Amino acid sequence: MAFDPRPEAAVPAGAPGGALPTAPEGVSASDRGPWYLAYKRFVRNRVAVAFLGLFILIIVFVLAAPVWATHVAHTGPNETHTLEKLHVGGEIREVVTPEGKPIGPQLFGAGGKFFLGADSRLGRDEMVRLMYGGRTSLFIGIVSGLITTIAAVILGLLAGYYKGWVDAIIARTLDVLWSLPVLLFGIALGVSLAVGGLKIGPLELSGGSIWVPILVISIFTVPYVARPIRGEVLALGQKEFVEAAIAQGAGSGRVMFGEILPNLASTIIVFFALNIANNMLFEAALSFLGAGVQPPNSSWGTMISIGEELLTTQPLLAIIPGVMILLTVLSLNIVGDGLRDALDPRAKVRLEAHAGMVEKEGTAV
Amino acid sequence: MRKLFVVIAIIGLAAVSATGLVACGGGSDNNGGSEGGEGKEGGILNATYASFPDYMDPQLSYTQEGWTAMGDVYIPLLTYKHAEGTEGSEVVPGLAKEMPKITNGGKTYTLFLRPGLKYSDGKPVEASDFPYAIERLFKVNSGGSPFYTTIVGAENFAKTKKGGIPGIKTNDKTGEISITLEAPRGTFTNELGLMFAAPVPKGTPDEDLSANPPPGTGPYKIINSQPGRGWEYERNPYWAKANQKAMPEYPSGHVDGAKITIIRNPQTQVNDIEQGKYDWMQNPPPASLYPEVKEKYEGTQFRVEPTISTYYFWMNSTKPPFNDVKVRQAVNYAVDPAALERIYSGQIKGTQQILPPGMPGYEKFELYPHSLAKAKALIAEANPSDTNITVWTDTESPNNEAGEYYEGVLKELGFNATLKQINADNYFTVIGNLSTPDLDTGWSDWFEDYPHPNDFFQPELAEESILPTNNGNFSQFADPELSRETVKLAQETLGPEQEAAYSEMDKKYMEQAAWAPYGTRTLSTFVSTAVPLESVIFNPTFGQYLTSFELNE
Amino acid sequence: MARFIVRRLVGMVFVLFVVSLIVFLIFNVIPNSPPAQRLAGKNATPVLVKSIEEEWGFDDSLPQQYLTMMKKVFTGELIQYSPRVPVDERIVEGIPATLSLSIGAAIIWLFFGLVLGYYSALRAGGKLDKFLTGLSIAGISIPVFLLAPVLIYFLAEKLKIFPNGFYVPLTEDPWEWFTHLVLPWFTVAILSIGFYSRVLRSNMLDVMNEDYVRTARAKGLSERQVMLRHVLRNSLIPIITLFGLDFGATVAGTAIITETLFNIEGVGLYAAESIAKLELPPIMGVTLYGAFFVVFINALVDIAYAYLDPRVRLGTSAQ
Repeated sequence: MAFDPRPEAAVPAGAPGGALPTAPEGVSASDRGPWYLAYKRFVRNRVAVAFLGLFILIIVFVLAAPVWATHVAHTGPNETHTLEKLHVGGEIREVVTPEGKPIGPQLFGAGGKFFLGADSRLGRDEMVRLMYGGRTSLFIGIVSGLITTIAAVILGLLAGYYKGWVDAIIARTLDVLWSLPVLLFGIALGVSLAVGGLKIGPLELSGGSIWVPILVISIFTVPYVARPIRGEVLALGQKEFVEAAIAQGAGSGRVMFGEILPNLASTIIVFFALNIANNMLFEAALSFLGAGVQPPNSSWGTMISIGEELLTTQPLLAIIPGVMILLTVLSLNIVGDGLRDALDPRAKVRLEAHAGMVEKEGTAV
Repeated sequence: MRKLFVVIAIIGLAAVSATGLVACGGGSDNNGGSEGGEGKEGGILNATYASFPDYMDPQLSYTQEGWTAMGDVYIPLLTYKHAEGTEGSEVVPGLAKEMPKITNGGKTYTLFLRPGLKYSDGKPVEASDFPYAIERLFKVNSGGSPFYTTIVGAENFAKTKKGGIPGIKTNDKTGEISITLEAPRGTFTNELGLMFAAPVPKGTPDEDLSANPPPGTGPYKIINSQPGRGWEYERNPYWAKANQKAMPEYPSGHVDGAKITIIRNPQTQVNDIEQGKYDWMQNPPPASLYPEVKEKYEGTQFRVEPTISTYYFWMNSTKPPFNDVKVRQAVNYAVDPAALERIYSGQIKGTQQILPPGMPGYEKFELYPHSLAKAKALIAEANPSDTNITVWTDTESPNNEAGEYYEGVLKELGFNATLKQINADNYFTVIGNLSTPDLDTGWSDWFEDYPHPNDFFQPELAEESILPTNNGNFSQFADPELSRETVKLAQETLGPEQEAAYSEMDKKYMEQAAWAPYGTRTLSTFVSTAVPLESVIFNPTFGQYLTSFELNE
Repeated sequence: MARFIVRRLVGMVFVLFVVSLIVFLIFNVIPNSPPAQRLAGKNATPVLVKSIEEEWGFDDSLPQQYLTMMKKVFTGELIQYSPRVPVDERIVEGIPATLSLSIGAAIIWLFFGLVLGYYSALRAGGKLDKFLTGLSIAGISIPVFLLAPVLIYFLAEKLKIFPNGFYVPLTEDPWEWFTHLVLPWFTVAILSIGFYSRVLRSNMLDVMNEDYVRTARAKGLSERQVMLRHVLRNSLIPIITLFGLDFGATVAGTAIITETLFNIEGVGLYAAESIAKLELPPIMGVTLYGAFFVVFINALVDIAYAYLDPRVRLGTSAQ
């Protein structure tokens, strides 16, 4: 599949009780608290820190889009320059040749104009589109990651806490989502919305809106996060501190959100990072298929699909946005992984135990 | 959907809505006879199409692929000359002995079937097979049936599917076929030459036979049709035995058969032709490889084939801002065919009029030489009240890019334009449905059904062709006087006088700026070294004829 | 156990029902382009549109249309719009290609995933482990629709090492069948190789800390025997269930993009083509058969799990 909406990729097999909470036994280990320890552990992971740096660089890169567009490239991301000519050195070059071949990377040859060349026969500035496209891709990835995580945590909490028919209904709903061919569905929805848009109560979605891919992505990735969270809630529900809270007469809401939720924090953080990565791949796939970001706006996915047509003559047009996606997703995956190692001491102990460094292990629940 | 649509683009289904194509000259000195070039007789042609035709059934197919695929398999009573360019636009007798006798004020057409004709299954061809085919057209709800609703009683038959069509009378003994129309129709000989009207044996089931095409009368027959994958041809055994003698001027073909494989990726097709894995690709090379292929092989293995088509932007003339002729003229000044030629990698040739080159009545004029300054001045003069507009285009490259370019042009003119891209297979239905919101302006193309200029005015610019659904007049252009003239001309048989009138009409519509046309499309013939290029005939309506292909020694 | 199975199967039917309903509705509410108008073509008259509506039953009420369509799904009478040939026939034609692709890819990802995972676990924390971890993370980070064209471009078109897509039936020419499928196999597998190796690695690290492994070591078994006989074997159970789910998903889903990119005439390509043309009958057919496959394997996995691990069974039936 073009994307893999399986954040468990980085978590021990999707079975219940994958990552485990740091509290409460972790607290006694240090007076500085588990979060500080996790931070320390994370900082020690040089690779993860390096990729976090890369991710921040990418964010800075896309945020700089308007600056580059106005001061260097002097063009917006959607402005076409089909018939324009460019002065490079003493030479005059056409942005698009009469046969329809877009100009290649000029770097600073034309003062930063067409730094990476033109994107297609429309003669738009590839660099400007890459920066603006990255904003769109990252925005969709992060927002849908937020929505998915929130929805998945709520569903996972309800299912894992109430069990019984609540669990059954949620589980079957997730099954439905799981069994729908995601791409097919996303595309169908995109086609349906292309003409008219959708009205759900006060919410109105127009066809070209980037909320369409955001919604599709958010809905379809819920099962991949909700299932493991449910498993963890099930396990947590049998712990003493939860039973104690219930015995003291705490209401369901208090137990769920006051007792269980904080213990899910580390899992949620890890999933969030990994989810953004997967969602960005998902967005790229949808856009590539024409069901995501709508033209003339760019995203890295739409740029690949435009560039792909010219793969045999100008492979860079598809490869550059592809590498951007790869780097972003890679850094998120590695950071997510680092976070997991840092927040889940058991995983660390497990590893170190084998490496023969620590002989002691926290016995699992 | 661009790439699902490209995936779908990638899925890259070139949904060619074209039904007819023209080749003006094309640089070949072949005059359409069966004598051919330096190739040999016999052999199997190995060819590739990018997609399976819409239907492999003469009564149903309404695409260029389908008509090319079946052109030498099903011969109608009248047919188009096996020639290129304007010569190929000439209607000549097919299964009929001679051209129809038109009497009764242009309402009755009388033809005689040639004696001794047989189908590829050995059954004799009878005059009554013609009405059977026309009835079948209605029974299978073919998209081509509306061409024949002017036959007396056909309208009623379309509704009831019972009782036959009283307007067609036949005599199996004499082979006489007489067709009576409700009103004179100048295009009817052209329509008798379409694949839709090709006779099939009585008893042919009233269902799509794409997987098992019915017997035909041409030199080849289709075998092994696998929808989605390909099909094969072999010689029709009864051609040599019977039909060839009955219709000696019709070419018999050189190859003994052909095998067609569907290859959805045109880049692969180009590679395979270069390596000689296939001998011919029916569709043009992809835009990205087009310049390369053209440069490398033009004249030896590659030939540009002009089509009778017009690419244009329509503007909804019923509401602001495009109800103002100045705004429409401004758009015509602002759209630059030179830019669009590049966007189409040189696969369109810029024109700014409704009739395309190759169509009878075409006379070149240029009312709106590109000038952004003039355009802006006109807009300033018109001062449109509504500047929020929606721009429609489909997802197929490069039409989607043309739409994006057009959106940019409108923005430059000061409009607040929003782009909507609709899946190519859905596009014309959506913009042809008047209840679709925000139908302001957008992209379209029109390929001839047959080489008659009426085909470029009545369906898409006459007032009465504005329909609530399946509308073809996207500009909703309703000029009573021009409409009246269109309808009147439609009843007359095409002659030099009519051609001049159509040419005049072209200018009048463009003075009103009913459309903003930007070009006419070219297709191509690309063959491997195994096929002598000059032998291949590209007909404006039927594309490449299988009978014209030869293989080198 | 029987109750559990029945419950699971009922759930499965319910899921399929909802899936069919959703797909049907989505394609029936595409605004402003009813299928009859689309089929009637550019020259249509109102009479023709109406006639097509009657022929295909587009003028029936939506529930009636749904029922008719579902009946046709079960009796195998679904007909695609253009050309009008049976959907089942096209699907059956595509199955060999899709199964060749999925099974071959599954073998590759299992093999490489397990071998790499095993060695990663043996040398956890070492250079090889780090390298393999990096490799597998990179594997799950590559967009397939970029990987495939790049592979095609470099390996098939430039270097001409592999054929450029297409499917050659195994019965026609086994060697050609194989060479044509190498690139698509790896394209599908690359993502899962990384995933499986990491899952196996962490499972093995878990198991290594179990008491019985220590016991085995204490008994004096060689490290190799401990690893293969105890650690690996016990780490494979979750992998097998995971494999069941993934294989179903591959057959039903992954095929769409890969088959399209490589021009493999399978069920996925057929589905993609049908979406492009907005043809509901084949989309319905492919989706439902695909969903059935996924749901069925999910149910099998659950049942197998319940059989292997009674806690699951109790946990569920306790409600």
